[in-house]
Amino acid sequence: MPTISPFIIYILRKGLFIAATFFAFLLIIFALPRAIPGNPVAALLTQIFQQAQANPDTVKAVYRKFLEEFGLHKPLHEQLFDFLSRLMTGDLGTSIAFYPRKVADLVASYLPWTLGLLIPAILVAWALGNLLGAWAAYRRRTRVDNALLPAFLVLSQVPYYWLAMILLYVLAVTARVFPVAGAYPPAMSPSLTPAFILAMLHHYTLPFLSIVIVAIGGWAIGMRVLVIYELRSDYVEYSELLGLSDKKILGYVFRNSILPQITGLALSMGTVMGGALITELVFSYPGTGYLLFRALSTLDYPLIQGTFIILVSTLLAANLIVDILYAYIDPRIRVSYVGD
Amino acid sequence: MLRNVSKIISPELFTIKKLDASLAALLTIFALGFVGPTIYPVQPTAVVGPLETPPSQLYPLGTDAYGKDVLAQLMAGIRGSLQIGATAAAISLLIGVLIGLVAGYKGKIIDNLLMMLTDIVLLLPSILLMILVAAYFKWRDPLLVSIIIGVTSWPWVARAVRSQTLSLKNREFVNLSKMAGLSDFQIVIRDILPNVASYIFMAYVLLMSGAMLAETGLSMIGLGTTQGATLGNILFWAQVLEAVRRGLWWWFIPPGAVLVAMAASLLMIATALDEYFNPRLRGS
Repeated sequence: MPTISPFIIYILRKGLFIAATFFAFLLIIFALPRAIPGNPVAALLTQIFQQAQANPDTVKAVYRKFLEEFGLHKPLHEQLFDFLSRLMTGDLGTSIAFYPRKVADLVASYLPWTLGLLIPAILVAWALGNLLGAWAAYRRRTRVDNALLPAFLVLSQVPYYWLAMILLYVLAVTARVFPVAGAYPPAMSPSLTPAFILAMLHHYTLPFLSIVIVAIGGWAIGMRVLVIYELRSDYVEYSELLGLSDKKILGYVFRNSILPQITGLALSMGTVMGGALITELVFSYPGTGYLLFRALSTLDYPLIQGTFIILVSTLLAANLIVDILYAYIDPRIRVSYVGD
Repeated sequence: MLRNVSKIISPELFTIKKLDASLAALLTIFALGFVGPTIYPVQPTAVVGPLETPPSQLYPLGTDAYGKDVLAQLMAGIRGSLQIGATAAAISLLIGVLIGLVAGYKGKIIDNLLMMLTDIVLLLPSILLMILVAAYFKWRDPLLVSIIIGVTSWPWVARAVRSQTLSLKNREFVNLSKMAGLSDFQIVIRDILPNVASYIFMAYVLLMSGAMLAETGLSMIGLGTTQGATLGNILFWAQVLEAVRRGLWWWFIPPGAVLVAMAASLLMIATALDEYFNPRLRGS
């Protein structure tokens, strides 16, 4: 039997768990409307049907389409089978609010704005937060730490969207340094010209800062504690006795402390995403948060479900990437899977 | 259990400056929410003055787009947010502690199954789950919102309680109880639970600040409670009615500031307790 690399086994295990989580999530999506008394989706269909009575030609076709997509008249196991098999083909159904546009196309056109905001913001906040946290830990019991720690603690509790409101008010409404809404000027259409990219970055600054400034706080708090623990370990004392430079020792400490923060990165992405979706609302930023808000306020259940399926699969994919990265960086994980 | 609580509240604890400042901030906000209305008896739902007036002597925090008093709304909002925060945190704590104790103490297959469930819920972001569940309810009273927040926020508590239970269950005093013929239930209640009491207290404080922030998030996306005021509700209407772009700062700054002050105070209290129980963090 050929030996399989423990690294591959680790990734397979993680992948399997993430796939199981995704399946559990799909079950939740499927079960929720059907488990709630009065089935809100059925109620919505009845509403469309009543409109169909008054306006037979067009709305009746819409009604038949949704009746077929939800298949509520069929037995539950058939509904579940239909739901899953349609998902396999990438069919997320048809939007009600944006009828007759397909949910998958709609989400695909809004998703890049959200990812373009989220990914850089998460990474920048992570890097800055860890550096600042390590600095605070190094300068422990000095004025630096005494000033930084309360600031981190408060920052970590600020909702992104509330900071967004304040930044918008101060820098866009009052000082007029940044635009008040959108991802680009309404007069321009997206293109790769320098003028457009510049305008886009101008609109990007405030939403980006709202997320980064707040997210720094949480990372810094975590890193500070990790570094403080690490600074007390035997190898630090030994290195000091050997007369190694502070800079060199700090390098070791930083590398050892950063590992748990990588796992933290995977777990925190969901929270950041949730907050960022609401932040998009404050800036009328044309991302999935804005789309979700439209869907929620019109009770467009296919669009709500589809948006969630895509957001959660993006998140789980990102989780898997972070897990792989972590295993690649930390050899202890690979070893632990062969019990060596 | 009681002995442990009295151990938590010893005079030495109040020498931590961070804790005193946080408690003071919290008490001030509690007073504003619960005592405030008797000193400033304005109905939060009544139209009391001109639309969108900035703060003045007559209206200390101005009025909103309907002419309702912002200070009166803020007081009602503090009570509403605290109520949801306290209830949701209690629900999360109950689920988290129960799962953590059972998984940690029973071990084997039960542990594996419960931890798999915990990891799945942990991996799915709680705020997204909350939005998803809340979307299917047309009417949401504060209790329903608390339940929605509570049932999605417990996994980290379960994990922590489990690992503490694991380290406790093979200690000598537990073995003694086993030899004395105590049932699993009795051992968990009498030997394990009192030893995780200090952690449970800290977890409740953190869950409460998280729940109040979650309520605000849900409200902002239009899925908060449909009955009564909360800080999130005030922010939602300020956002929907464009308070920021129209420069009505007195409408959206106070509710957010009070929320952040409460959440940060609760976090600092939890941090102070953590330092108190883990001297390693206090520094040499």
